[in-house]
Parts: sequence; structure tokens; C-alpha cells
Amino acid sequence: MNEPDMKSGKQPNETHVDEMTLLMYVERQLDREVAQGVSLHTQTCTRCMTLLRALDRESRLLTRSMLEQDEPLPARLAEFQEKVKRNMQWIWGVVFGLAVLGVYALYTEYIVPWESQFEQAGFGSTNLLNLVVFQGAFWKGWQSMFSLFEVLAVMCMAGFGLFAFRRYLRRGSALAVLFTGFGLLMAVATPASATEFRKGDTVTVKKDEVIKSDLFVTGEHIRIDGEVDGDVYAFAHQVDVTGHINGDLICFAQAVRVSGTIDGNLRAGANNVSLSGSVERNVMVWNETFNLDSSGKIGRSLTGGGETLTLDGKIGRDFLGYADSTNISGFIGGSVRGSGKSLSIASGAEIDGKATFKGQREPSVASDAKLASPVEFTKMEHKREERTGGYYLWRVIWTGTFILFGLVLTGLMPKFALETVDSAGHIGASFGLGVLVFFGVAIASIIACITIVGMLVGISSFMLWLVMLFAAEVVVGGIVGQWIMGRDDDFWPFFLRVVVGIAAVRVVTSLPFIGHWAGFVVTLWGMGAISLALYRRLQPTLAPNIPSAPMAPLGNPLPPNTTVGGI
Amino acid sequence: MSAPGNTEPTDLIARARTGDTQAWGDLYREFAPAIFRFCRRAMPTREDAEDATMEIFMKLRDKLIQYDQTRSFTAWLYKVAANHCWDMLRRKKARHDKDMDDVDDVALECPEPNQLEKLIEERTSAEVRKALDTLGMRARMALVMRYYSDMSYDEIADAIGVRRQFVGVVLLRARHELRQALGENSALAVGGTR
Repeated sequence: MNEPDMKSGKQPNETHVDEMTLLMYVERQLDREVAQGVSLHTQTCTRCMTLLRALDRESRLLTRSMLEQDEPLPARLAEFQEKVKRNMQWIWGVVFGLAVLGVYALYTEYIVPWESQFEQAGFGSTNLLNLVVFQGAFWKGWQSMFSLFEVLAVMCMAGFGLFAFRRYLRRGSALAVLFTGFGLLMAVATPASATEFRKGDTVTVKKDEVIKSDLFVTGEHIRIDGEVDGDVYAFAHQVDVTGHINGDLICFAQAVRVSGTIDGNLRAGANNVSLSGSVERNVMVWNETFNLDSSGKIGRSLTGGGETLTLDGKIGRDFLGYADSTNISGFIGGSVRGSGKSLSIASGAEIDGKATFKGQREPSVASDAKLASPVEFTKMEHKREERTGGYYLWRVIWTGTFILFGLVLTGLMPKFALETVDSAGHIGASFGLGVLVFFGVAIASIIACITIVGMLVGISSFMLWLVMLFAAEVVVGGIVGQWIMGRDDDFWPFFLRVVVGIAAVRVVTSLPFIGHWAGFVVTLWGMGAISLALYRRLQPTLAPNIPSAPMAPLGNPLPPNTTVGGI
Repeated sequence: MSAPGNTEPTDLIARARTGDTQAWGDLYREFAPAIFRFCRRAMPTREDAEDATMEIFMKLRDKLIQYDQTRSFTAWLYKVAANHCWDMLRRKKARHDKDMDDVDDVALECPEPNQLEKLIEERTSAEVRKALDTLGMRARMALVMRYYSDMSYDEIADAIGVRRQFVGVVLLRARHELRQALGENSALAVGGTR
């Protein structure tokens, strides 16, 4: 371009430099010769000079406006952060929605049916929590659990406080605060209540003996002929109670015989339970055979499961039973709700409440049995699960709940979540370990519970096992999501992959015929991956500065078509 | 190319390149305010600007080793920032914003010089920033690259994906848009018909 572009202005005989050329002149983008032409023209043309000056001032106004420090650097940018924390307020709306769905699903699927079952069993819904949790022998266990929770809560708060004020605390003062906290906790801790422990091949509480505390007893054969003014926890081959227990009897044994009196509840896991004495409150038994003798008496309700339940004695309130065979010839003051292969109501039986039975065969009812109403029978048929719209709706609701669970887990332990998903990538090892953990930990927890010192370990292991059971699907969802969308370790992209993966897994586990098996495989795989990640975490480092796992690639992969400094 | 308010911290950059986290932290603290301001001008919302700033520095840390120390660090930094912001904008709005289309060649009406002078005189920096927010993505990006980070036409052409010859057109069109926004509801509106 040798000559500046001249365009007609408003005066007919006058030509002017166009705005673009003037802008290029201001921006120093013109060739030298053209620039000289513009310069010459503007010296003689007032209009072009004015426009040139205006453009130049406009440039300076723009620069000044943009450079002005009108906003301080936001707090979250004050220091460099390893991970991008995006502004994703909308996600909390989604989380809230999922939480509502989850609570609704839990309430509808689990709490309501269970509440209904317990109500049938004589535990009124109004005082259900009170009866099941806050009374009786179990309550003492819960009391110690709450102490543990309190300690953990205080420790968490102290940890949070230390974290929040870490900049103001030097190491020495932080330790001082920590130890002072522990000291205070030790000082205010409530001393444990007295419990008598007995152990031996044969342990006997003699007829004239009175124990004024709880009794924890293990042995081959346990006899309680005397009086225990508290609860009895018994683990033995055989347990005989001919005396008086003022509290509850909780026992795991081959055979349990109660001909004495229990003022509280009887809860037993045993092969054979025989009750010819009286239990003032409730009986809950899981056994092969349960026999309520004609002289036996249960003040409130009986909940039983097993192979055979024979009820010749008296039950003050309701009966809830899950047994292959149930035979009733005694008195039941409340309702009967039975489930199993067969129910027989013999001559002389009396049921004052409603009776329902769900089983394979119609119940056999003697003509002279006294029933408040005929037995309502529902035939149990083994048919394929119907998959209606409601079924799939519930699958969607549960998928949402799992996604929320995944968000919570990922948010709480982002690094561990990544490690776990990485472990799930080792399919063989994860699956193998999963089989071991699924069966092994469950069995070991039960065994640990039976021993005296292992109760806490057993319960804790079982709780951990349960958490792993539910988290398994999230973990497998994570690896499946990564297979589908590629790997990304940032929080939200990673979580997005978990969501996609969970959805995919739920689709597979909802398929007819293979869905249940697929779900089982997912559970084993996920549990194994969690266990593997835990194992790797607990592995000691072999030598300093030697990484125990392969190094991850530095940085994160950039999105496609992203340019960096023109490189 | 000069950068707004920064001299080259050569030693700091050299140490950061070797993995010195302290040096990287210092480098971040020195340049983060300017980059945030750049992003604030270029991106539509404050949140986007914050996200972009963090992402730019994450990229920078990974790519610092590739930086050619014989050239201006500040210029390189703004180039990375501009590319990143434009990528973000393109991903966000590619399907909606007509501004992303190729530069058309519709002629722009030349403004009346005196009216333009008056408009520029009467407008404050804050008003310009507000008007800037109303511009299309490419117009705003071009103005920010040129008048905030003083990028060359070649660099602007590279960043927003137009031929170099069109950069001037883009800038002129952006100025017209800006004048339109500044003169909105005012008799001072000049030129800028599209």
C-alpha cells in the first residue's frame, strides 16, 4: 500500500483518510511510505487530524480503563492451589436433590417396612427406638459406643481447631494444646460400670448366690441357679437358667434351656432353645428349634426365626416368626404374623389378634382352635421378579443415592478415592481379594464378637465391611467411568466419571437374568479394590525416597485443541 | 512488548524452572493479580476469571520448562493467558455466539470526529469497563489483548484464529461496538452500524 485510502467525507470536494487507515497509523501498523502519506495529510486536514487524535485518545482510555486496579485479588487466588476448585454452586442444588431422594428411598425401602415388622412383633412404633436401643442389655453396649463417639467428636473438633489456627500455633504450643485436650478427656471420662467375668469348663451361679452386677460368662456349660441382679452375657455350649435374672439374658450357645425367670429380655442365637420358665419382656431367638413349653411364658412379644418353632406356652403380645415349620398350641395375646413353609394351629390354641401367614402351604387350623379371625393366607410363589415402571423408577432413585454417596466419599477422601479406583484397575487382584474379604471379614467379625475381647473389634470390622459393601459400586463406577471417558484426576472431572460409571454399572445390574450376578461381581470387585488400596496404604516404605508405586505422569492432560503459549 | 507493571524476574523464573516451590509461589504472587485482571477483562463473569486464572497458572507450572528464557517472560505469560481464555470462551459459547464467525466485510460508518472526541472525553474508566462487559467475546478479547497486554497483531491473530490482515478490522469493529455501548441511550452514539 503506497497511498493512504482516501474516502469521500461530507464536503463534496474534500477527501479524507478512512478510519481504518488512521487506526493502523495510530497502532503503528502501516508501511513507512503509507504512514508518511497519512502524516502529511493529517497536517493539512483538520477533520482527519481530529479523528486521529480521537482514536489515539480512545486507545489510551482503553488501556487506562483496563489497567486500573478496581478489584482486589480474590481470597481463593491468594495462594497457588494444586487443584482447580471451580465455582460450581449449582452442584449443591443437585446434591440437595439427591440427598432428598436418598432419604426418601431409605425411609420408604427400609425404615417403613422394618417399622411395620417391629410393630407387628409388639414393639409399638411410638416407643420402638426406646425399646430396641435405649433399654435392656444392648443399651449398655451403646453407652460405651457413645462414649467413643464423644471422644472422637472432641478429637475431630480439636483437630479442626488446630487446622484453623495452625498459622498462629507453633509446633510446641500445638502439642501442648493436644495433650491438654487429652488430659481433660481422661479427667472427665466416666469410669466403666462393674461387670463380673467368669470363665471355665463349667460355670455355675449357685442357688443361694446373688451377683449384684452384670455377668459376662464363657464356658462349656453354664448354669445359673442363683440370682443375677443385672444382665447376663453368655457364650457357651450349653446354658441352663433355673434361677433368676433381673436383667436380660443374651447368649450364643448350642443349647439354651430356661426354666427359671428372666425379668428382662431373652435374646439368643442358638441351635436349640427351650423355654419352660418365664421371660417378662420380649424374646428374640434365631435358632434351629425353639420350644415354648406349655408351662413357659413370655410377657410381651416373640420374634423368632429358624427351622421349627413350637409354641405350647403363653405369649402376652404378638408373635412374628420366620420358620420352616411353626406349630402353635398355646396362647397368643396379640397378633400372629408368620412366614415359612407351614403353619399348624392345633387344638387348644388361642390367638386374640389378627393372624396372617405367608407360605408355601395353606395353614392347618384345628376346628376347635380359638381365633379372633380366620388366618389370612398368602401363597408364596417363586416367580420371576416383575420389572414394572416402578421397579425402574426405584433403580433411578437408588442410582441417585449412590451418586450422592460417591460424592461424599470422593469429597471426604479425594486421594484415597483415586487410589481405590486405581486398584480397581487391577481386576484379578481386586476380585480375588474381594472374595476373601466378602466372606472372610463377615465370618471373622462374627467369630470376634463371640470372644470377650473381640466384641469391639468384631463390631468395628463388621461396620467397615458394611461401608465397603455399599462403597463397592461407587469404586467400580469410578473405574468404569474412566474407561468410558478417559482418566482425569481433578475432583469434578473425576467425580463426573464416577457418576457416568455408576450409571453404567446400575444399567448392567438391572438387566434381567444376569443383573443379580453382575451386582455380586461388582460387589466383590469393589470390595477387593478398597481392600487393596487400604493394604497399599498400610504397606511400609522400603527405603526413603523410593516410591512404592509407579509415578503418575506430571500434571494433568490438557483438553484437546488447547494451546499453551503458542507451543 | 511491554507488560503492565512488571519487570522480568529472571532469577525467580530460573529457580521455579528447577522445581523450587518457594520460587514458584513468589512468581505466582507477583503475577497472579495482573493475570486475574486480564482474565477479569476478558471473561464474562468473575467466577470464570477466577477459574481461568487458576488454570492458567497450573498450565504455566507444567509448561514452565518449555519457556524460552531469551524471550520476554511477561509476553509469554500473557500469550498463555490469552490462549487459555480464548479456549475457554470458545468452549463455552461456540455454538451461541455469532461473534465467533469469520470476520465479515461489512463496511463501518466513519464516526464524526468531534462527536467521538466528546464521547471519549465524557466517559470514565469505570464506564468503559462496564461497556466492555457488553461486547461480544471476540471484540472484548481483541481489545484486552491489544490494550491491556499490548500483544502484537500477529499474536492476536494467532490467539483468536483470524488472518493478520483482519486483526485491524476486528479491533476497529470492537471499538465501534464499544462506542455504541458507551453511547447507548445517548445522542452521543457515533458510527458503529453493523
